[in-house]
Order: sequence, then C-alpha cells, then structure tokens
Amino acid sequence: MTATAAQPLARTETRSRAHEIWRIVRLHTVNPSIFFGVPWLILGGAWAVSMVLAVIITGSGAQPDDVGDGMRYSWAVLSPQWYLVVVGVQAVGLTFSFALGFGATRRDFWLGTSLMFALVSLLNAAAIATLVQLEIATDGWWVGTRMFDALWYGQTSWFGDFYATFAMQLLVLFVGASVTTVFMRWRMRGMMILSFGAIALALAAVALVTLNQAWPAVFEWFGSLGLGGAFTLVLAMAAVFAVAGYLVIRRATPR
Amino acid sequence: MTRTVVRASGLTKRYGTFTAVDAVDFTLEEHRIYGLLGRNGAGKTTIMQMLTGQLFPNDGELEVFGRTPAEHADVLRRMCFIAESQRYPEDFTPAHVFTSAPWFFENWDAAFAEQLMSDFRLPVKRRIKKLSRGQLSAVGVIVGLASRAELTFFDEPYLGLDAVARHVFYDRLLADYAEHPRTIVLSTHLIDEVSRLLEHVILIDQGRIILNRDADEVRGSATTVAGARAAVESFVADRAVIGQEALGGLASVTIDGRLDQRDRILAAELGLELAPVSLQQLIVHLTGTELDADSTEQEVAA
Repeated sequence: MTATAAQPLARTETRSRAHEIWRIVRLHTVNPSIFFGVPWLILGGAWAVSMVLAVIITGSGAQPDDVGDGMRYSWAVLSPQWYLVVVGVQAVGLTFSFALGFGATRRDFWLGTSLMFALVSLLNAAAIATLVQLEIATDGWWVGTRMFDALWYGQTSWFGDFYATFAMQLLVLFVGASVTTVFMRWRMRGMMILSFGAIALALAAVALVTLNQAWPAVFEWFGSLGLGGAFTLVLAMAAVFAVAGYLVIRRATPR
Repeated sequence: MTRTVVRASGLTKRYGTFTAVDAVDFTLEEHRIYGLLGRNGAGKTTIMQMLTGQLFPNDGELEVFGRTPAEHADVLRRMCFIAESQRYPEDFTPAHVFTSAPWFFENWDAAFAEQLMSDFRLPVKRRIKKLSRGQLSAVGVIVGLASRAELTFFDEPYLGLDAVARHVFYDRLLADYAEHPRTIVLSTHLIDEVSRLLEHVILIDQGRIILNRDADEVRGSATTVAGARAAVESFVADRAVIGQEALGGLASVTIDGRLDQRDRILAAELGLELAPVSLQQLIVHLTGTELDADSTEQEVAA
C-alpha cells in the first residue's frame, strides 16, 4: 500500500480535443516574434525603403505618376512571403520536437499548427488588403510611392487582395511545414527522394507539354482562370500540402 | 498494493542494421524511483523515447498506463520527458518554456517552478541557445519536477550541474517525491551521483538489459577480495568472478553474490581484505568486462 497523493492522479477524460489543439496554437504564439514580429519587421523595412526611394526619385525631378507606374513592378509587398517558408520549416523542425516532449500527439500538433497557419494568414491578409486601400486613398502615403498597390494588388477589391494574400501565405506556410515532415519521418533519404522526384515530375510535365506542342493551350487555360481562379488554385494546392503533411507527420519522429 | 505503470516485452528498436534496443523485457511499478543506467549509446534514450511515444518500436509489446503510448493523448498527458538533447522552438527562452508548461501538464505547480528557478539561478530571459550545459539541464529538471507527472523521466539530469545545483536537485526531488509520490526514471551514465536516490536499478548495455534489480540488493551484491594472489585465487575458485586485477604477487578480484558469515571467517583466516563494491564500480565491472570480451573476440576474428 502506498501513500495517497495530495490529489488523485488517475484522471479520466475531462478535457476536450479543442483544448489540446488550442494549446498548440498558444505554443506557437508564446514567442510572437516568429509568426508576427519578424514578418512585419521585414514588411516595415521594405515599406521604409520604398518611401525613401520614392522621395529620392521625386526629388530628382521625375513625375510622381511615372514613379508610381514604375513601382507597380516592385515585389516589396511579397517580401514577408519568403520568410514564412522558414516559419513553416521551423514549426515542424523545432516546435514539433518540443511539443512531443510536452506530451502532445502528432495529430493534435498538426491540427493546431494548421489552425495557427490559417489564423496568421487571415490576419496578415486582412492587414495587407487594408494597407493596399490606405495606400490608394493617401495617394502613395503622400509621397507617391507604391508598395502595396503593386503587381496584381489594388486591381480588384479589398476582398480580392485579401483572398490572394490568404491563399499565398497559407501555401508557403504549408509547403515549408509539410516538406519538413518528410525530413522528420524519413530524414535525408526521404528529402533526396522527394527532391529528385519533384524534379523528375516537373521535367516530365515540361516534356509532355512540349512534345505535344501544347504550350499555347496551357497558357490559355491559365489565362481563362483569371485572378480569382488562379488564387483558388493556390488555395487548393495549400490544402493538398496540408493533407499530405498530416499523413506524413503521423509516423514522424523528433530529432 | 502497487500498480504496474509500464510493461515492455521483447521491445526492439532497429536503425537499419544497427539494433539500438534488443528485445528488452521490464516493468515499472507505480511510485518508485528507477535508475536507467548504462554507458553512452547503450540505448537509454531510445527506450525512454519509445515509452513516451516519440519513437515507434520495431518489435515487441509496450503498454504504458495500460495502452500503447504513441498518439494516445490520455497516456501522454500523464508523462513528462525532457530529453537531454531536447530541441526548443526558435529563439525560445526558459521563460517561454515555463509559460507554456501548464497548458500541457495539468498538475503543474507554478510556485514550485518559480522556487526552483531561483534555486538554480537560471537566467530565464536568456535564449536557450545561449545557455550553458548546466543551465540547459536545469531547464529539464525544473520542468520534470514542477510538472508532477505520474511518470516523469529525467534524462542525464546531472549533466553540467555544479555541486550546489546537484544538491538542490537531490533535495527537491526527494522532498517533492515524499509529498507527491510518482514514478520516476532517472537516466544517466553519472552513476555515483544518483546512486543514493535509486530504489531500483535497470542497467542496459548495447541495447540489452544486463541487470534489473532492487537497488539495495545491488549495493550488497558484489564484493572485492584483495590479498596475496594464491590466497585470493583459492578463495574465489568456485565463485562468479566479474572482474580481476593483478599486480605482482597481489590480486584483487570482484565476485558476484553475497558472502555469508563462514565466507567472511575464511577470508579473515586467509588474510584477505573484503571491500563492498559501489554501484558505479559494479556497473563498470558489468559493462566494462563485456566490452573487453567483445574486443578480444574481434581480435581473434581478425
């Protein structure tokens, strides 16, 4: 017979699944610099550079309208996009190992991480779409610069920009995370097979289209999608990576 | 009445052709302190990773709290295992670890954790990457103690800890264990440091369990006999020898098994000295001789 513990340790199921998934979201936000701080620092830096550039160019005597047209081809609005791939990689490469040490299941970790990705993309998309409208309303932050109202942004509506940003951010986060699950499950050998497989697949597709002289048809199809259609395709790809990551991580092991 | 917390039989983990854990059988009973001892690379961490569902066994059966641990939230939430080589999220600080711990450990005692942070003088705002080895060990020790999980693993808790910190760990563990009994597994190769804490010893070498006994039994189970070579040899002739050294006409032989009163009188008559063997010495004998035998075999084969 052993001493009775101060509180009964043998507990039955009292906590719901939602709690177990939500705590993963909280784990991702306990250090907010990863998902929010650094991406917005990058975007803020790009914005500051765009502002200074516009002031210099206008100061040298160029027409503000020409400056704006030139900056329409700036990729600055997409600058945090690439960093989010790294965020996706680290979410699985580092946080996954830690969450398992804290007794999370792989399933809950992936569901919680997916929820986190969705929330981050949602917030960022709303913020960027709003900044596009603000930039248009203030005529380029009063100096005629164009950072957010560039590329395909500012062409349709607030919702159009929101949808495009949401789909693209979700895609890069899930690409980074799901490719890392392959490493966590099969290590270097898996990564080699995955990358060679992807290259072989891409070459096969190019060969197929070229040999059938089908490039015009492919371009036509892309053109017929339109902006909304193209980003729906992006969103669908994000969903494919999310499902693939879920299947792979169920047997992944931490380093 | 005690419950069995862990039941493993034929548990095996292979990495390609290398067998890290080779068909081990053991059980862990509730409310005991176990020592999982062995040399570096013996398979200690692999066993703990399988018990906590981090690794999937290749073979054998494993039950923790009555079911397979991997992917079972109701089993995993009752355990705590911070590996010695634990990875932390990017730019994490100990403060982040202790903030998130209560979300995962329902018995988490924040005041106790706070107390331990000051006892170990842990710089909680410093990035984990910048911590010294001892400070990193302290993070794992604090999580392990304050989580009060039913089954708690400490993986090399003494690594890099200074004398004061080792003492703090020893005191706090025993005091808290008395108040909140739980099953504790201490995995380490620094055996002398933990030997006083242990109630049961599981010694593994090259993926196999070579000793699985009550710690008190182990402590008295081996004796070193020293004296004139001829006298020593006659005394140990029909006993299980686990280690021997000789220098000139003198010999020192370690034998397995307890000595009774008659043996002690005989030894005194022969002018032999008897000395108890510490846990550490015994383990060096048990795992070291095996290594020697292996290398001789390899030389013969070559």
